[in-house]
Amino acid sequence: QDLLRKNKASRAIIEQRRRLLDEWLAWREQVEEELHDEVAAGLPDIAEVVDDGKNEVIE
Amino acid sequence: MRPILLSGHERALTQVKYTRDGDIIFSVSKDHIVCAWYSANGERLGTYHGHQGALWTVDIDPTTTLLASGGADNTIRLWDVKTGKLLKTWDFGSSIKRVEFSPDGTQLLGVTEKRVGHVSSIVVYDIKQDVEAEQSSEHALRIVVDESKATVAGFSYGAKYIIAGHEDGSVSQFDAKTGELLDTFQAHEPDFSVTDLQWSPDRTYFITASKDKTAKLISASDLALLKTYVTDTPLNSAALTPVKDFVILGGGQAAMDVTTTSARQGKFEARIFHKIFEEEIGRVRGHFGPLNYVAVSPDGKSYCSGGEDGYVRVHHFDRPYFDFLFEVERERANI
Repeated sequence: QDLLRKNKASRAIIEQRRRLLDEWLAWREQVEEELHDEVAAGLPDIAEVVDDGKNEVIE
Repeated sequence: MRPILLSGHERALTQVKYTRDGDIIFSVSKDHIVCAWYSANGERLGTYHGHQGALWTVDIDPTTTLLASGGADNTIRLWDVKTGKLLKTWDFGSSIKRVEFSPDGTQLLGVTEKRVGHVSSIVVYDIKQDVEAEQSSEHALRIVVDESKATVAGFSYGAKYIIAGHEDGSVSQFDAKTGELLDTFQAHEPDFSVTDLQWSPDRTYFITASKDKTAKLISASDLALLKTYVTDTPLNSAALTPVKDFVILGGGQAAMDVTTTSARQGKFEARIFHKIFEEEIGRVRGHFGPLNYVAVSPDGKSYCSGGEDGYVRVHHFDRPYFDFLFEVERERANI
């Protein structure tokens, strides 16, 4: 059994985490936009393949 | 998170993989055999016999039609998942360290080992996703790796790049159409091999594991270093979890590298880190030897590990795992 450690943190650490989370979300947004543009320009879209897989499960 | 023990292999596990919908796990071992298991209950549903040596690698195409395997008998083999029929054998001059299908399943890459008289290479074959079709014997692309030999490789989003990890701790980015080397990055300590490379669901970034005791999160388009996870043991494998922003790392000191071997000293635990904050948040014990591979179900509901001890352990995540959030994540979720 895995024990998830208690999440105690000082104010400074919380600020740091907030910054890291914001940075990550901003990076993801940028990457997803770029990927969207590349797919629009003709690059094969993985999301489609992934969705197809999910549809198969449902049937 | 009670584990299911998959026992059936007679020697060390080398790689474990889930199918796209997560219901079947394929495992390969030094015992020459590919096994298929139901991830839900651990029941073995089939084996694939034919290889004449230790197996290092396995992959399943996104439609769960074709299975590829490779190993020390210097062959890549392609199998019909459903019937277990061997469909194609590609022969090489040295062993196969890694196979991986492209995201859409229309290509298969293999990493060949460097050996006297044989260069390290990455070969790519065009694949017909049809068990009745005749597969091509000729590779569509062959990349000769002149510098440090390749240990692992895979296709990025849209099969735009092939990313490889090397024995000298570097990663490299190739144009997947032409094979041209575009970029390299010294991701890990020199002389510490890259042991694993696994993708994010959209394949825009990946995680590498290394004997230098770290795992790194790297962007596929520019090889930018995003995150570093520091542990106290050589790593053999690193996986990304969908649904939650976690990474799961596996490794451990090999028996021959420690004077007195015990589970404690060997550090045979899967470690869970927060992907964004780089903090360790949990460990999962169980194996009696190093973890050679960790894989996460594409639906994010379970993970499995293949051990040097010959077992696969499947862990279905429970409620606390999914509920776990750092305060700042909870804040974000509530906005």
